[in-house]
Amino acid sequence: MKVNPTATRNTSRRFTLWMLLPLLAVAGVAVGLPLVYTLYLSLTDFSLIQQGVAGFVGFDNYWQSFTNQALWNAIGTTGTYVFIAVSFETAIGLMIALALQKQRWARDFTRSMLLAPMFITPIAVGLTFRFLLNDQLGAIPYLLDQVGLSYDFLGSGNALFTLAMIDVWQWTPFMVLLLLAGLESVPKQPLEAARVDGAGSFYIFRRITLPLLTPILSVAILLRSLDALKVFEYVYATTRGGPGTETETIQYFTYQTGIQFFRLGEASAMAFILLAIVLPLIVVLFRRLESKA
Amino acid sequence: MVRQQLKTSLRVIFLLAALITVLFPLVWIALASFKTAPQLNDPSLLFFEPSLVNWKFVLEAGILQAAGRSAFVATVTVAISAVVGSVAAYVISTYKTGGSATKFGILAAQVLPPAVLVFPFLTLSYVLGVNDTLIPLIFAHLSFVLPVVTWFLIGFFDSVPRSLEEQARVDGFTRFKAFLLVVMPQVYPGLGAAIIFGFTLSWNDMFYGLILTPPNSTILPVAIAGFNTFRGVELGSMSAAILVAVVPVVIASFFIQKRLVQGISGGAVKY
Repeated sequence: MKVNPTATRNTSRRFTLWMLLPLLAVAGVAVGLPLVYTLYLSLTDFSLIQQGVAGFVGFDNYWQSFTNQALWNAIGTTGTYVFIAVSFETAIGLMIALALQKQRWARDFTRSMLLAPMFITPIAVGLTFRFLLNDQLGAIPYLLDQVGLSYDFLGSGNALFTLAMIDVWQWTPFMVLLLLAGLESVPKQPLEAARVDGAGSFYIFRRITLPLLTPILSVAILLRSLDALKVFEYVYATTRGGPGTETETIQYFTYQTGIQFFRLGEASAMAFILLAIVLPLIVVLFRRLESKA
Repeated sequence: MVRQQLKTSLRVIFLLAALITVLFPLVWIALASFKTAPQLNDPSLLFFEPSLVNWKFVLEAGILQAAGRSAFVATVTVAISAVVGSVAAYVISTYKTGGSATKFGILAAQVLPPAVLVFPFLTLSYVLGVNDTLIPLIFAHLSFVLPVVTWFLIGFFDSVPRSLEEQARVDGFTRFKAFLLVVMPQVYPGLGAAIIFGFTLSWNDMFYGLILTPPNSTILPVAIAGFNTFRGVELGSMSAAILVAVVPVVIASFFIQKRLVQGISGGAVKY
């Protein structure tokens, strides 16, 4: 049978386009359209409580947001939160992954249980800790009290750290999951060779395991940071931005501006400023993932 | 030898501590859901006569209806994502259709902050008169579930050998039949994991639900948050409501943990 190569390429091309089309259509409605519409909103004085057509105001909203100290505070707060949470998650996650790798007894049970928190709806986690940390009814202040300690978990100066620790409780499992996979795909030969040569286990970890683990470690840190930036539920469940504005994160601040104060135009401009901050991280993540495939 | 034993015991103690840290809050919530209001005032109470009063209260407050709506939204979202996503993931993986721009778009959509998309869903739902339905929420959930499911599937298709499809073509299958009948069954386990994970993502989302669902017919995570403000803090009923949301997905998650890594990393890491 003789096949015309151009014809095959054409049918192949038409076939692939038809297969891709549904995705483009649904994503166009669910992502593309809202994105463009938010861009439009950000250039108007659209408000949920005002009747009539929104007026075009150019870059006023952006200018207003840029000069709004509260927005920069929220960005700073979110940055601090992400840094604290992701650092702890990386360190603890790595320790748990290393320990789990050697675990033989009740292996699958231990792993499943330790991974469970990442599948719980974050609002439930937030409310659970609000309950556990309550200074009159909570079990944790009670236990601390028994050993003579007292700590105001959601008080001024402590609240943001406490929120970050709630993040650590829920999302360290995500780090464990990825790092455990990374550890198990590390080739065994260099490890054994080093052991035969009499290298200590800390030396092996630092000089052999860690470098081999770096690609997945960086992907895990990026994914986690991008997700932690969106923190909303813990704030909503526990502090609502307080004390003062100490725990006002960017997602919560945008929600307040748009939904509680009805200023959709301004909130949309903030959302785009957030996007501009996040975009470079997404590009780095994409490069990392593509270079390995 | 002694050093080795010391290391092992340290490791076991560390893992036990981690396990207790994970389990303690969950067990405490489970206990609290069976305590009466006066019993909840005593944070040291471990042994008590269980009461069903909280469970009765949340059932009467419509927690199952909220769970039903959550399940409905998640099912529709995941069904659309699975069909649309597998078809697209196949050509993206096999023919590199759309190039890296498409792949970048898929990854970016997964991690996009919801604040960027939520306001249009809200205003458009009023313009189109669907603001008292679950339709805006389904579209909002599609904005992140579809990219995640597609991303997972690209990774799973990448690990299917090309020769399978070529053989099917030689045997006289059309391109679509080769995809549907020969390649697709190879990724069914991966598709299953992607479906359960996508369902979990939709089921767990609160931000979109809070803004896009009508107050009297809301979804589970928003309903749970409602117990926080309604007549002060109703800790017992809140705990019962939390369990309704948590137990099903945690059980489902046990079945997909192994495939999750491969999915999240787009096939780059196998477990």
